[in-house]
Amino acid sequence: MIDESISSEDLMARIAKGDDEAFEILVTRHQTSVLNLIYRFLGDRTQAKDLAQEVLLRVWQGAKTYKPEAKFTTWVYRITTNLCLNELKSSRRRGWFPFHRSDEDNVISIEDVSPDGSPSAEDVLLAGERNRQISAALKGLPENQRMALILKRYDDLSYQEIAQILGCSVSAVESLLVRAKRNLQEKLKSFEK
Amino acid sequence: MNCHSVQKKLSAYQDKELKPLEQEEVSRHLLSCQSCREHYEKFEQVWQTLGELQEIRPDPWFYSQLSRKIKEPRQKEVLPALQHVFQLLRAPAIASILLAVGIVTGTYLGNILVRYDFFPYRPTQPTYLQEALFDSLKVFNTAPPGTLAYGYLQMVSYKENESR
Repeated sequence: MIDESISSEDLMARIAKGDDEAFEILVTRHQTSVLNLIYRFLGDRTQAKDLAQEVLLRVWQGAKTYKPEAKFTTWVYRITTNLCLNELKSSRRRGWFPFHRSDEDNVISIEDVSPDGSPSAEDVLLAGERNRQISAALKGLPENQRMALILKRYDDLSYQEIAQILGCSVSAVESLLVRAKRNLQEKLKSFEK
Repeated sequence: MNCHSVQKKLSAYQDKELKPLEQEEVSRHLLSCQSCREHYEKFEQVWQTLGELQEIRPDPWFYSQLSRKIKEPRQKEVLPALQHVFQLLRAPAIASILLAVGIVTGTYLGNILVRYDFFPYRPTQPTYLQEALFDSLKVFNTAPPGTLAYGYLQMVSYKENESR
C-alpha cells in the first residue's frame, strides 16, 4: 500500500520498476489537470480525452528514462504541450479541425453549473453559451500565447515553469502573456458588465 | 514610477511576478492613478471571465482504459504510423491518379478525332490560325510529326517507294 502523500517524482521512480499501483495513483492525481489543459487548448472534449490518454501513456513509457531534474508537472505539461501542438499541425494537414467535434462540447450539465442546486434551463443555456464564447476567444489566440495563458490562468504556474514548458525565455513568456491578455480584452468585450 | 512604466508592468504585477519592491510600487501607483487603475481592471476583468470556463471531468473508466492500452502488444503502434504515412500520401496519390486518367482520356479522345477526321465545324477555307489549330491536333496521331516514330515511318515509306 503506497502512502497517498508520496511525491509524483517518487511515484515515477516506482513506476520505472513496473509498479502499477504507483501509476494508478499518479494518473488519478494528474488526469484532470492534463485533460483540462488539452480541452482548453483545443476546445474539443473528445480529442482532449484521447490525447490525455496518450500523454499518460507516454508518462508510463518514459518512466525509465525520466530524471527528476525539473518538477514532474513541468515534465508532463511539456509532453502535453508538444502533443497538443502536433495535434494542431496534423489537423491542419488533414484540412479539417475538428471534424468529429461532439455536440456535447458546449453543453453544460446541471452538475457542472451547480453541484448542489438545480439551475433553471435558461441558466444552463446561458452558461453553455458563455462557455462557447470564452472557448472561441481562447482558440482565436496564437498557439504560444494561448498555451502560456492557460498555464498561467488555470494551472497558476510561474513564468519560469511556463518558460521551461514552452522552451523559451522568461521575458518571452512575459511578453506572450501581455499580448494574450490584450488580445483577449478585445475578444471578450461583450462580457463587460 | 510613471504611468508608462507601470502599464508595461501591469501584466506581471497581476501575475505576481514582479520583485517585492516593484510589486509594492505598482500597488501604490494604482491607488493614486485612475487611468492605470482602469487598465488594470481590464486585465482583471479578462482573468475573471476566463475563470468562468467550465472544467471537464475524466471518465470513471479513464485509468482502466489506459491500463488496457499499456498492456496491448506494442505491435499495434505500427498501424497508426502506417495510417499516418497513408494519410500524408493520400492527396498526392489521388491527384496523380486523376492526372493519369485525364491524360489517357484526352489522348484517346484526341486520337478518335484525328483518326476519323471528325471535325464537324472545319471551315472550307481555314485561316492560318485555324490551320495551325488543326495541325496541332496531329499530336494525337499514333506517330506525331517531329517524333522518332514519325521519322522512322517516313524513312520506311521512302524506301518502299524507291523499291517500287
